[in-house]
Amino acid sequence: MFLQQVVNGLTLGAIYSLIALGYTLVYGILTMINFAHSEVLMLGSFMALGLATFAPAVFGTGPLALVAMFVVGMAGAGVVNVVIERFAYRPLRHISRLAPLISAIGVSIIIQNAAFLWISTQALSFPVPVPVTQLEFAGASVSTLQLVILATSLALMGLLHWFVEHTKMGKAMRACSDDVQTAGLMGINANKVIAATFFVGGALGGAAGVLYGMNYQVVKYSMGFLPGTKAFTAAVLGGIGNIRGAVLGGFLLGFLEVFASGYIPNGAQWRDVIAFTVLIIVLLVRPSGLLGEKVAEKV
Amino acid sequence: MRLLRAKWAPWALLAAAAAFPFVAHAVELPYLVRVGGVIGLFMLLGLGLNFTLGYVGLFDLGYIAFYAIGAYTAAIAMSKGVPAPLAVVLAAVVTTAFRALLGVTILRLRGDYLAVVTMGFGEIARLTINNLDGLTRGPKGMQLAAWRPLGFVSADPNIQYYLLILAAVALSALASRRLEDSRVGRAWVAIREDEVAARLSGIPVRHYKLLAFTLSGVFAGVGGALFAMWEQFVTPESFVFWESILVVSIVVLGGMGSIAGVLLGAFILAGVPPLMQATLSAEWINYRYLFFGLILVLVTLFRPQGILPSSRREAELGAE
Amino acid sequence: MSLTRRAGLALSAAILALAAGCGPKEQVVKIAVAVPLTGDMGTEGQGLRRAVELAVEEANAAKRFPYKLVAAPYDDRADPKEAVNVANLIVSDPRVVAVVGHYNSGCAIPAAKVYARAPVAMVSPAATNPEVTAQQLTSDWQGPKMVFRVCPTDDVQGSYAAEFAFKKLGKRRMALLHDKSPYGQGLAEQFAKTFGGLGGKVVSEDGVSVGDKDFKALLTKLQGDKNKPEGVYFGGLYTEAGLLLKQMKELGMKLPFAFISGDGSKTSGLFDVAGESADGAYLSIVGIPVEDLPSAKTFMDNYKKRFTGAGEELKPFDHFGYEAAQIIMAAMERAGGHDRVKVIEELRKTDYTGVLGKTTFDEKGDTLNKIVTMTQAQGKDKVFTTVK
Repeated sequence: MFLQQVVNGLTLGAIYSLIALGYTLVYGILTMINFAHSEVLMLGSFMALGLATFAPAVFGTGPLALVAMFVVGMAGAGVVNVVIERFAYRPLRHISRLAPLISAIGVSIIIQNAAFLWISTQALSFPVPVPVTQLEFAGASVSTLQLVILATSLALMGLLHWFVEHTKMGKAMRACSDDVQTAGLMGINANKVIAATFFVGGALGGAAGVLYGMNYQVVKYSMGFLPGTKAFTAAVLGGIGNIRGAVLGGFLLGFLEVFASGYIPNGAQWRDVIAFTVLIIVLLVRPSGLLGEKVAEKV
Repeated sequence: MRLLRAKWAPWALLAAAAAFPFVAHAVELPYLVRVGGVIGLFMLLGLGLNFTLGYVGLFDLGYIAFYAIGAYTAAIAMSKGVPAPLAVVLAAVVTTAFRALLGVTILRLRGDYLAVVTMGFGEIARLTINNLDGLTRGPKGMQLAAWRPLGFVSADPNIQYYLLILAAVALSALASRRLEDSRVGRAWVAIREDEVAARLSGIPVRHYKLLAFTLSGVFAGVGGALFAMWEQFVTPESFVFWESILVVSIVVLGGMGSIAGVLLGAFILAGVPPLMQATLSAEWINYRYLFFGLILVLVTLFRPQGILPSSRREAELGAE
Repeated sequence: MSLTRRAGLALSAAILALAAGCGPKEQVVKIAVAVPLTGDMGTEGQGLRRAVELAVEEANAAKRFPYKLVAAPYDDRADPKEAVNVANLIVSDPRVVAVVGHYNSGCAIPAAKVYARAPVAMVSPAATNPEVTAQQLTSDWQGPKMVFRVCPTDDVQGSYAAEFAFKKLGKRRMALLHDKSPYGQGLAEQFAKTFGGLGGKVVSEDGVSVGDKDFKALLTKLQGDKNKPEGVYFGGLYTEAGLLLKQMKELGMKLPFAFISGDGSKTSGLFDVAGESADGAYLSIVGIPVEDLPSAKTFMDNYKKRFTGAGEELKPFDHFGYEAAQIIMAAMERAGGHDRVKVIEELRKTDYTGVLGKTTFDEKGDTLNKIVTMTQAQGKDKVFTTVK
């Protein structure tokens, strides 16, 4: 039973981590909570679903369709995130810190209602293009789908790490994250870097949306809100703006939730209370999250 | 605009607002009295959050938790036979105590870390209310006995509560105004603009932050109690995260730290959805919140400093 | 500066439009549908709106009334505050003769107080909290008794399911789950009461949240429970029920480990979520199953014919919404007009046979139709068959 709960926690944590990365990337560069990220995730999964519904003729079923769904979901979500940044955040960038947040809330409301009105007012079932089998493993039941989810998220995290650490754009992103103005003076085109960051963050959100859709096989216009808030919490838990922190926070929250509902009597209904209480305690001990650097005070 | 700055303008507005429900009834639009009352409740919440978010710049995403605590304190007190006026006072006291307790614990956190912790507290409060069936009846909600203190003015409970809420809003605005100009108010703004400089000038930053954070509990407590008594029913469904977001939007969109701005922000954000409810036709009713989101984005893009930014803030930011 | 003026103009325009909307025009009579049309519960609310629209359209086509009957939609967003707003708006429109609504108990309870003062009848198709109708009997109630409910309260279904589990399936140890909503928790509590009374044992009780997606931790706990539950009773709606069923299958929990739930889960949406994993789930419903009742069959066929868009499938409470509208229209016919008070009086005398079977109301306004039927999901054909 313990092993089974570990498997459950890993799957949940992997998804939270991916979403948390989207929040943390944007935060790292603009210090803003991208409230619309949960809606980007929802749109990503809807786009993948659209592909799966309308284009099985091209890709058939099987691994190719799976890859195509990821490509469409990630690219679509990335583009949406860039468009949102361009029109709803960029005009407000240097004016006030809270105005982009309100704009983001507005965008989130618009996207959710648009999906409700024009895509579907109800939950839709989400296909898994590869056959899923259950593997028995030391008393725990692991599905091949869970393995796909874990592998995909770990691969994406590795890819992100490589991108940020070893490419020119990644270097520019790190520079902007340290200090946008100085980076600009050094000849970095901040607008371009910020757009790239939003694309990468959105793509990760889209990937998470596809995984989320496949794991639960149901998607709905309001699906983004809950995992969005939780992943944001996870990002803060790990230290917002910190990439490794987001991954750590995501897995930690996944395990926390699983063990709270699995081992504490009546734990399921107190699960979120427990998770948030742990968050508060962690932040009181480490005010910048688990891996966050101490923020220098503004002088 | 100049008219609005005149000394007598607030009093004239108050008189007009007090006469409004009777006019609305006379022209057979009683629905507007209800809408006015709801706007008033959000004005109260906005003025309360303005202390933390507007004056001191503490980002609070869980303010609605205290509205809930106020509402449930009033409901529980009245179910135990406490007279209604006393229940309002009790709600204010209990809410403020909770707020102070939370403030002491978390106020050393900064910026968005504070935001996320308050958001967490908001969810903790709602879920706890939902799970403590013995005390709060959980998801079934609690009924409240009718309290109609202004029966001599009108038999309509909507008019009575409209006037009660209006009085609370007027008192809160007055209190905010007085505090703004006091030593305390100036210290708050100093902290908001530059905490380090404020500390170096000898302002006890921690105390002043805690004071602002705690004071905003009073407004939420009174507002929650009035809400519960007006509806005669409370349920955890009323206190979701979205409501906290709405109050934050009211303060930011109206103009942080500006009393008139917050009042106008509440007027727009709390007033537009119910007015659309009455005016949109059957084909368009589903689009209500799509339009609401559009309004939120457009107003922010055109007035990023808020619709009516505080004059002090405007002067400072203009000089930058 | 100009913005304030513009805002003022827009507002006065809005008020004028509102005033114009209330003026006397052609002879139109409205049945209000006050449900969540947007937000998380918009799915269920839109279904109810369609069901009432269908009933009204059919009545107009058959020329049952000498005036045009309209189903007027109002959006309460599943928010109690907005529900009371909506109630105030509805009572201020003299053309509204009665209300079908609200979907949530948390909305129905405070809104009913507003309808009572008008008074205008409220017939709820889905709010199952006993308080919705019981509050009318308290001394605090201001107005006549005008709340009716066509769906049964939780006690009827919960008890039936408990007897079914104990006597028919021979279960002695059951685990209890619910979604912490008034509906789900009410069902589960009643199940526990009856099951315990029969001598069975409820080995665990857990609450989840509407919108939760991952129940594996919880299910794994049930699997490892040393009290060895023989099945689970779930009080809640189809999305969570479907996810539970699917994740149960993934964890290897299959029949004879029973899954029993109520009418909130008996809808084609269950198959959308769970697919073939839904196979074998027991779902109680109130009344005779629509598949076995000719009048209900017609309703389902007409609904399918009328609403063909994506997401416009029948939702679990739609037939209650349709029936509520039918009962209101029958009362209007008997009242010989659309006087609100007369309609309330006629509603009290309701004796109507329709898609739910026979509906009459007790002194609280609750339906006396307490026939419960157990159905079982057939995963392969995506249908529900009656368990005899």
